[in-house]
Amino acid sequence: MRNMISDAPRTTLTAFYWAFLLYLLLPLTLMMAMSFKDANFVAFPIGDWTLDWYAKVMADKQFLEACLYSVMIAAASTLAATTLGTWIAMLIVAEGIKGQVIIFALACLPAVVPGMISAISLRIFISTIDMPTGTAAIILGHTVHAVPFVVVMALTRLRSMPGNLVDAARDLGADSVVAFFRITLPYLGPALVGGMIFCVLLSIDDFVRTFFLGGYRPTLPMLIFAKVQGGMSPEINAMATLVLVVTAAVGLYAEYLTRRARTR
Amino acid sequence: MVSSNTTAGYGAGRDASVPRYSTGIAKVVNSALYQHTLGAAVESRIGRIILLAGVPLIWLIMLHVGPIYQMLKISLLSHYPVQPGVESRFTFDNYAIFFRESLYFTPLIKSFIFATAATAVTLVVVYPVAYYVAKIVKPEGRSKALLLLLVPFWAGELIRTFSVIMLLANRGAVNVLLREIGLIDRPIPMLYTSFSLGFGLVYLICLYMLLPLYSAIEKIPSQYLDAAADLGAGPFTRFRRIILPLSKDGIVSGCSLVFLTCIGVFATPMLLGGPTTVLFPETISGFFHGASDKWPVGAAFALIMLVTALITAGIFMRLVGGKKRSAF
Repeated sequence: MRNMISDAPRTTLTAFYWAFLLYLLLPLTLMMAMSFKDANFVAFPIGDWTLDWYAKVMADKQFLEACLYSVMIAAASTLAATTLGTWIAMLIVAEGIKGQVIIFALACLPAVVPGMISAISLRIFISTIDMPTGTAAIILGHTVHAVPFVVVMALTRLRSMPGNLVDAARDLGADSVVAFFRITLPYLGPALVGGMIFCVLLSIDDFVRTFFLGGYRPTLPMLIFAKVQGGMSPEINAMATLVLVVTAAVGLYAEYLTRRARTR
Repeated sequence: MVSSNTTAGYGAGRDASVPRYSTGIAKVVNSALYQHTLGAAVESRIGRIILLAGVPLIWLIMLHVGPIYQMLKISLLSHYPVQPGVESRFTFDNYAIFFRESLYFTPLIKSFIFATAATAVTLVVVYPVAYYVAKIVKPEGRSKALLLLLVPFWAGELIRTFSVIMLLANRGAVNVLLREIGLIDRPIPMLYTSFSLGFGLVYLICLYMLLPLYSAIEKIPSQYLDAAADLGAGPFTRFRRIILPLSKDGIVSGCSLVFLTCIGVFATPMLLGGPTTVLFPETISGFFHGASDKWPVGAAFALIMLVTALITAGIFMRLVGGKKRSAF
């Protein structure tokens, strides 16, 4: 077979790809490196190296509390978003229901509305139903944010599902509820786990919704934001590095799961 | 009615005393509570529809449409939150304020300039990368090449923004490097300018462009390119006549996604921008964190931003896409 794409563009594009990758990774690498700097200000060159900042962060009660709080909010909003998203996806693929296009458009609405506007509209919404700002409001906001992604992921999987599986279950005497829990849900399984991890990352990363809906208890991004505004210190770098390593590991695992689900 | 439901619908002639399900779910399904509630409900068509559509429709209307509707309602009120003794009336004044004062007009224009520029730069930078991964990397290496690009994506908005500071600060990597090799004597002030904001925005959002472009380019059959080459088309002609038109869908959804994300970015301008780069989200935020009776103005401004952003994205989709398409 002849090589249709000649070598010059190929080499240029390869170089461009690696340059782009360097551009993506360089700032994060610098940020991580700075967390080992043995001085209480942020500046290059790094000079002496130390692990003291990590010791300080791990002993920082505020940081640990923010971690717990973020994880708690992420777990609650992920659970809610997965349930609702799957339910909405079931409605969209159901036979004999009209207006599926409209339902799908409504389901995707929060993903199209820019983050800032979504945050403000939710802030107004909770005040009209007399809900105070705080944990419940943040969970609600993160759930609204995550639902469209679950719907899209669940729909993709549902559309590849052979219809006769559920029919067979019904013939064997299962009612629709039982057929859903025994057949459809296990089939959705891998896609949903990938979707859930994505929701967790969305929630842990979210700043703008938490900023408008939150109370005085800081989540991780709020804490980092407040510290950055208060002045630079390698302590923030250590904090951000820890968060980055954990979220990247979780993200990688999600990627592995969705890939495995796709090849099955 | 209720008592007969314990056996109805599970197949005629079955002995009701034999458990229908033998594992896990059996206890639930055979319990009286289930059979009198959910079990009874799914027996009828109406019951099934309510069970399937009830919660999703309530959620979609209450929480996907509700907040936008409430924002619209409040933007037309003279006072909110309601205070005792002050009567709130219907008014268009909150919208008029926007057009009266350039103080508010300028940030919106700036938001649009930054979002448009960032979208254009992102498209130009990411397109070759997407093309490389989709067409030049061998199929078995593709997911690895893609995965490497996705690593920074898991860092989150705030951490990525923060990491840009390491690069651009006065004693950041770029300035220190330039001074070391003797190109400059004193640091170039890059942080807290429109440059750092633009750089940060592109850094933040470039991956939203990658995936739509990648999936569009990957779908183009390689035979088309081979055929064009056989017919004597050079690399540039092949790109202009085949790849570009066939990846239009990816360009449209990537650009819309990036543009709409850029418009709504809140933390990045506050951390990377300076006094001359106040964007519209920060302006709007002021109405909610200052004196609380300015909420209606903030709501009106947010709606102005939402409508102009969606119209811009819509016009772009029409112009480039030629047909209506959602961002997904």
